[in-house]
Amino acid sequence: MIQVSNLRKQFGDTEILKGISFDVPDKSILGIIGASGSGKTTLLRCLNGFETINGGTITCGNIKLEAGISATDYKRRVRDLRLKVGTVFQHFYLFPHLSVVGNIIEAPVHVLRTAKKSAEKEAYELLESVGLEHTARRYPESLSGGEQQRVAIARALAMHPALLMLDEPTSALDPRRIGSLRGLLRGFVEKGQTMIIISHSIGFLGGVSDNLLYLEGGLVVEYGPTDQVLNSPKDPRVKDFIAQAE
Amino acid sequence: MLIRLRKIIWLLSATLLIHAHVHAQKTLRWGADPSGGAPYVYTDPGNPDQYIGYEKDMVDALANAMGRKAEFVPSDWETLVSALQRKSFDVIVNGLEPTGDRAQQIAFSNPYYIFQLQLTVRRDDNRIHSIDDCKDKVVGTLGNTAASRLLQQRNTPYRAYQDPVGAYRDLELKRIDAVVMDVPAEAFYARDNTKLKQAGPPFSRGAYVIGLRKGDDAFKAEVDTAIEKIITDGTLEQILKKWKLWNDAQVEFQASVKTKTQPAVALEVTNASFNWSEALLRLTKAALVTVLLALGSMVIAVVLGLPLALGQWNGPKWLRTLCTVYVEFFRGTPVLVQLLFLYFGLPVIGIAMPGWLTALVGLGLNYAAYESQVYRAALDAIPNGQWEASYSLGMSPLLAFRRIILPQAFRIALPPMTNDFVSLFKDTSVAFAISVWELATAYRELANASGQFLLLGLIVSIFYLAMSLPMAQVARWLEQRLRSRATERVEEVEVPA
Repeated sequence: MIQVSNLRKQFGDTEILKGISFDVPDKSILGIIGASGSGKTTLLRCLNGFETINGGTITCGNIKLEAGISATDYKRRVRDLRLKVGTVFQHFYLFPHLSVVGNIIEAPVHVLRTAKKSAEKEAYELLESVGLEHTARRYPESLSGGEQQRVAIARALAMHPALLMLDEPTSALDPRRIGSLRGLLRGFVEKGQTMIIISHSIGFLGGVSDNLLYLEGGLVVEYGPTDQVLNSPKDPRVKDFIAQAE
Repeated sequence: MLIRLRKIIWLLSATLLIHAHVHAQKTLRWGADPSGGAPYVYTDPGNPDQYIGYEKDMVDALANAMGRKAEFVPSDWETLVSALQRKSFDVIVNGLEPTGDRAQQIAFSNPYYIFQLQLTVRRDDNRIHSIDDCKDKVVGTLGNTAASRLLQQRNTPYRAYQDPVGAYRDLELKRIDAVVMDVPAEAFYARDNTKLKQAGPPFSRGAYVIGLRKGDDAFKAEVDTAIEKIITDGTLEQILKKWKLWNDAQVEFQASVKTKTQPAVALEVTNASFNWSEALLRLTKAALVTVLLALGSMVIAVVLGLPLALGQWNGPKWLRTLCTVYVEFFRGTPVLVQLLFLYFGLPVIGIAMPGWLTALVGLGLNYAAYESQVYRAALDAIPNGQWEASYSLGMSPLLAFRRIILPQAFRIALPPMTNDFVSLFKDTSVAFAISVWELATAYRELANASGQFLLLGLIVSIFYLAMSLPMAQVARWLEQRLRSRATERVEEVEVPA
């Protein structure tokens, strides 16, 4: 679905991503793990176009972002890419002036030009799938953190993204809810969704991801099927990280 | 040493004596409005620290006849009567007409000059030949004068000015259709103006008298004797001839004084026709003008403020600079000066807007600067994440701004905007400087005509409060709602996993 090849990003003289390659197979979850400062947030911001890459390529279907193309060309491709890549931000960023349903149908109605009626119908279905159909007419401020997160997931999914990215989805949740989030996300994967999840919680990622990528110092240190990375990591730094998490 | 000290003491006592002697000579302190006051009394253009005028010359002659020393107290026309009552000066000498309402407040001397009114129109105007042609025209004149009262009695729409210059300039600029003025002022300000012409002969005879405080009959007798003296001995005739104000009416009048007979022609006396129901009606109309002015200006401010805010917030450098210059200019200079500039300055380059439009545009431009800052602060208050969330959903910057950012910024900006509206509402009172008939102008004119400063002041205040208090209440309510929405959290709803 999405292929990243030799991706580089630097801010001034500091190189944050030093050549990163991976691909996410359809209907699977790639978990990207690493300590703070490892570059995982920058990686996510490159994948949805908030940062311009300095080297390598990002390919998603027929859209290809690469370094060296003109700024206007890059901008245009980023807009195309964003229609394929949905993002659930760490702090959700729901639109406070719109109701829950309003949040979900805003982009389908105004970007995809879906008829309001059918967009609403789908919004209710999505809300049902995240267990929040009763909150449809409420405003984000009256929702708990976990509920806001599920609305943000529904809002992103309403655009039918080929790839859904979640940034630190467990940071706003109390431990009891983490399990239910895992079930929710796996459910969407069963139905065909592809995802990238960024987290520093190896416990959560271990349980939800098909593949794991361990990032440190802007480089991929370990990358492979989740079992393999967790049970027989080749790199001692990954072993340490897992040991510390446990 | 001793001699020296003696000398000093001698000098000192001499100085004191001279001083005391000067004080011993009685003064004649006279009040008049010298601004735009030619040819009565006005600042000498060639010698700006001195006043000249035919009444200045006349008062000097009067003081001379009374054995007093004339002392001029520059004052404001509209408040001359109350200033006289406050003893700011001893007499009013300012082309004062003896009217019934003034007679209730002050006493009058015998007449010293017979004035007539002159109608002036633009040179190319062929519609107006006399005051009777002005029924549906707007006529300019000075406020609270014989002319303004005459117009009021005839139900002719008029606009009151504070000096003849403004009236004649607005006539040239086609803001009004005609001007009625006492002949002396007309002769000085309009007769040589090639763009204007006299419409018909002078009309409506009245007398100028000297205004005195009531109750001092001895002083009144002294003044009347002096007037008779300067008429009888030809001093006044000389003065009037010097000022080109000598005419048939004066010949006739002075002859009657000299022979101690009644003047052949009866003098017309106009009275301020003040009644409360009419005053309240006019105040209500003025209040309506105030409301419309405030609403209209606010619309301009709200609409114009947005591009200003956007330019300053996210424009290219040149645009940002331009917007900042605009904002700082309009916030850094008084709105009164801006209005005067628009009203008097712009006609120089050919843009002559009527007063109400000037006030509307001027206040709108001014408040746009303030609204832009309200918007800017509101836009800054929207977290960057709102933009990123919009972009990540595929929205264009314009769509994100229109659908996501602006509605949120508007909610933040609404309470301060409402507050600004309340102050704009009060700021409409500066429009009185350009003769727009709003509440403050109405108050000034009605109070001057009636002397009811206190009561009318209270009524006008109530008008203002009746309109601004509800607005302030709305602002408070909006603020509270915003604050409670920001902090309020409905109980978390437990959802089974």
